[in-house]
Formats: sequence, structure tokens, C-alpha cells
Amino acid sequence: MHLKNRIGFLFRYYFFVKMLRKFFKHTGVLMMAAAMMPLSSCFKDEPLNAEADIERVVVKVAQPEQFFFQLTDTAQQVLSTDSVVTFVVRGHADLTALAPRLTLTPGATVVPANGSVQDFSKGPVTYVVTSQDGQWKRRYKIVFEPQLVIVSDTIKYDFEIFDLEPSSKKYYLWYNLNAAGQPIQEWASGNPGYKIARATAKPDEYPTIPLAEGYEGYGVKLITRDTGPFGKMSKKPIAAGNLFLGEFDMSKATTETLKSTRFGLPFTKRPTKYTGYYKYTGGDTYKDKDGNVVPGKKDIGSIYAVLYRNHDAAGNEVMLFGDDVQTNPNIVAIAKVKDLHETTEWTAFDVPFEYSKDVDEQLLENRGYSLTVVFSASVEGDLFIGAIGSTLCVDKVRVICTREE
Amino acid sequence: MKKTIISAILVLTALAAHASKADSTFLGMGFRFEGRVGYNIGGTAPMGMPATIRALNRFSLTPNITFGVGAYKPIYGRWGAKVGITFENKGMDMDARVKNYHMEIVKGGEVLAGVFTGNVVTRVTQWMFTVPLQVTCDVGKVRLRCGPYFSYLTGRTFDGWAYDGYLRVDDPTGAKVMLGHDEGERGEYDFSDSMRRLQIGMGIGADWYFMKKFGVWADLNMGFHGVHKSDFHTIEQTLYPIYGAVGITYKIR
Repeated sequence: MHLKNRIGFLFRYYFFVKMLRKFFKHTGVLMMAAAMMPLSSCFKDEPLNAEADIERVVVKVAQPEQFFFQLTDTAQQVLSTDSVVTFVVRGHADLTALAPRLTLTPGATVVPANGSVQDFSKGPVTYVVTSQDGQWKRRYKIVFEPQLVIVSDTIKYDFEIFDLEPSSKKYYLWYNLNAAGQPIQEWASGNPGYKIARATAKPDEYPTIPLAEGYEGYGVKLITRDTGPFGKMSKKPIAAGNLFLGEFDMSKATTETLKSTRFGLPFTKRPTKYTGYYKYTGGDTYKDKDGNVVPGKKDIGSIYAVLYRNHDAAGNEVMLFGDDVQTNPNIVAIAKVKDLHETTEWTAFDVPFEYSKDVDEQLLENRGYSLTVVFSASVEGDLFIGAIGSTLCVDKVRVICTREE
Repeated sequence: MKKTIISAILVLTALAAHASKADSTFLGMGFRFEGRVGYNIGGTAPMGMPATIRALNRFSLTPNITFGVGAYKPIYGRWGAKVGITFENKGMDMDARVKNYHMEIVKGGEVLAGVFTGNVVTRVTQWMFTVPLQVTCDVGKVRLRCGPYFSYLTGRTFDGWAYDGYLRVDDPTGAKVMLGHDEGERGEYDFSDSMRRLQIGMGIGADWYFMKKFGVWADLNMGFHGVHKSDFHTIEQTLYPIYGAVGITYKIR
């Protein structure tokens, strides 16, 4: 390659000298030599797309209201980090012949064919997407999951099921068991964002990690961490350990951080009480957004749960984000631990869901409400304010629901 | 940096003054002296544009002044030789649109690598002392020159940022991270410390004396190697210093 370049370069010299000579012979005038020749006029053809994403999946069925709980459930936006797309459907829905339409990266191809009829009654169907340039492949699973009736009135979150994220093996993910006893990833944290800032961090150096000495079995440990040189560069000097029911949207982590936390998952019961155990230690040095020390100020964590209507009056989906998780007008009830304090002993919390609006039972059954449960080591961690080292340990969390007759 | 520029001006002025007093048999070799000032135009660019660079959004002029003194010695007929010392800046400030552009940003031991689609700003300054050694050939009033040059960099920066686009972490199937427009939302980089101190290259040029003492000149200089050290692979392509220059020259004697 280098030799080729050198030869090309000698040729250029040769022609340049030749041209100059000719020029002088005819005009005798020396003018400016444009040195821009390698820059202009030689842009190559655009490379083909290298990405192999499913960006969106739409399922068309004859009577969507008989098949799905909500009309908006027919379409799903797929995050770049997701490889499983789950549609929750009514228990009696016929899954034997469905033809999902996929929106792919432009130019990408997929096997089985986009829009082809597949049988989803036997479990997930795997789709393999190949990029336009043929160099990259991604495997996706599309699942249609009949809604399982939650029998118990007490929803248990014990943080016993966790694993390293399968592709990078860098950070932990937590799972809950669904009614059929299968682990499903309902918990999200800022860990994937931390991986961008601190690629060298070991799994236990992430903000959200398992705690071997939980109240019972394992618990979860949330620590406010330094985001290192990249964090400083992007004016996000800390990452508060957090864990919540919902999703983390990596794409927004650097630009609209408050939009990266997507709070809430559909919930079909009426929660009344929120209980659990915690320990809390504030970090030594409290810093404001610009990294300046605020003397005398002590960090504090936060524990709360929010129930909200997941559609607005016009039928559009509503999701709570970091900037409105406790203020959105669609919120129906909040349960918040108000007297959270520093304690090195496991301390019980037991707070009621305080309802500000009535609950529509019909809508509740039809997945029209979502619940999020949130833990954070620094109450203002979403604004990158807090103390490095602040630690919140949580275990044996319960959301207690009443059956309305 | 300012100090270096000022001392370079002083040294070169002193040299020029000395040369003007020296007789034509300076060192008994029959040298003729000249001073020159000019402006460098060009960039640090790959040999052949890679397909991942799609367009040039902006190319701004930087303070690429060049000034120095030269000594010319006629050898045989129209042929001669020339040596000089120049202090110059080969800077660049450009904004390019890229697609699937491999990037690797290293900061304090942390590495962020991936494939970026969006816009990249690159800002380069290379203040250097350059010694050209050239063979010359006179064609009428025009003196054509050709020969290698040796540069030593006293000031170097190579930094910029990736903005208004998205990064796929590690490879095109990795997590998609949006990069915004403003500081704090974009991806900054600084490869200044990976730049070479010594540059060697080839130059061609011509001087045209339209008056007895005054002339104009133009040069084209190209490095034999990239502006970064050879073990630097963060940027996919080797970036060569490719600069043209124009200016005026004055015969000191």
C-alpha cells in the first residue's frame, strides 16, 4: 500500500513539474499553486450501510382489540441494545400464523423474509439480519407472550437472579420470574451507560452491583461512582447507582440523559403498600453539577414507586422519564420513603401508595397502567449531583396489592 | 508558543542581517542570500480519500505563516543548489461529514472505540523549523527548485470532536450512542501527544523575480510519512502533511 502511494505521489510530482514548466513557457507568470488537490474532487462512492438493526416491528391482525390489550401494542420500537422483542397478547390469541413487518436498517436483509407468516405458538422465532454491505449480522428473537394472570397479591423483588450481560460480560443485569417461572429482564440500570464512560471497569466497579450479604440471600448494592475522564469530558462527572423497573435507552445516554431512563412496565393490579429493607451511607464529598464541593451538604438516596396511566386521552403511549417520573400528570399513585436516612443496619421501610386519581379497573386489567419501582444512591444523581461513594443497599422489596371486588 | 515564535523571528532576522553584511564569498563558497515570507495552504490528509469521508463541511484558514532565510549557490550553468531555514505553521481546521468512520478515543486510560456516522472537526497546528535542501534550475526569470526537507516541530496539537451523529460502540452491531452538538454532548479527542517531532518530506517550488530584488514564490511540500508516530493506529488512515505555500522573497544580496 505504501509503495503504491509513493509511486502515485512521484507521478503527481512529475505532472506538477511538467505543468509548471508549460505554464511558465506560455505565460511566464507564476501563480498560486493549489495544494488542496488531495481534498477536493476525489470523494469516493458512499459506502454501503454496515448496520443490521431491526428498528421497529409492527404486527397487523384482523381484530387487534381481540388480540392485544392496547391498540398501541401492535407496534414496538426496538432499542439498539435489544435482541429480544416481546409482544404481550391476550391469553386466547391465536399465534400460529402471524406476519410481523420489520423496519430494518436501510438496505439490510432478513431471514426469514420480512412480513412472512410464521408460527409463534411454539415459542420465539429467530430473525437474522444482514447489513447492506454483507459484513455484519444480528440475531433477534421475536416473542408473542400470552399475558399470565398474576395470582399473588404480593409482588416480590428479592434480587436473587442476576447475571453478567451476555455479550460484553462487563456488568450485571437483574431478572424477575414471570408467572410461568421464567426469568424476564424487568430491571434496568445505568450500567450500560457506565460501560461507555469506563470501558476498563470490572463488573464490581459498576454503579449497580449484586450484594452477597443481603437481608436474605442476595440484595442489590447501588453506589455513586466517578465516571472518569470521559464523564468529565461530557460534563457527567458521576453516575449514581440506580435500579428501576423499565428500560435504559443507551442512545440517549450522552445527549438527553434524563430521557435514557424509561420508567415503568404494564401492571395489572392495584398496589397499596411498598415495603422492603435498606442500608444507606452518604459519600464524603458532595459536589454540584460543575464538580464544585458543596461544604456541609450530605448526600441522600431515594426509594419510591409510581403507578401511572400509560396512555393519554388521545390514546398515545405515555412513558415516564427522568425529568417527570414523579410529576407527570398521568401519575395515579406514588409511594415514597420520606424518612430515608443514613443507617448501617438493615432498616425496614413500609410506605402506602398515595392515590391522587381513581383507578379504572377495566383499564387496569387491560394493561393500561404501568408501575415503576426506583432506587437511587443519590437523590439528584439524574442531574449528576451527589457524592461519590454514596451507597444504598436494598433487599426483600414487596409491592402489596389488594384485589378489588 | 509565543516565545518560540518571537525567538524564531529574532534568530532569523539576525541571520538575515548577518547575511546582508557578509560578502559574496561567505565561507568562500559564493552564496547568495534571500529572505522570504509566505503562507501555507493545505492539510494533513490521507493519500487518496477513504470512502468513509463523505464531504467537507468547512475548511477554515489557520495562521499558517512561513518565514525564513535561504542561501543559493550557482553550480553549473542554469543549475544550482539552495539551503534554508524556515519557521512555519502547517495548521488545519476542517469539518468533515463521515459515514462508518472508525474512531478510537483514549482518555486517561479509558478507551471508547466504535464506528461513527456524523460530523468530525479536526484542528491541527504544527509550528516547526524546516530545513529544505534543494537542487535548482533557472528557466528565464524563474528558478525551479526540488529537494527534500527536514522539519522539527516545536508546537503541535491535533484535536477536535465528533458531533451531530451517532456512534456504534465497538462495531456496527454495538449499542447506538447519539452524539450532540454542544460541548458535553459531543465526543472530544486529542491526539497531540502522538504526533511526530521530526518530519521528513519532499518539496518542489519555483521563484520568479519580477523585479531586481523582489520575487514571488510557490512551493508544494509533501511528507514521506504521517504526522503521527508510526505506532499510532487510532485514526484509520495515515495522515500526511500535504501543503502548498505562496509568498514573496527578497534578495538580501
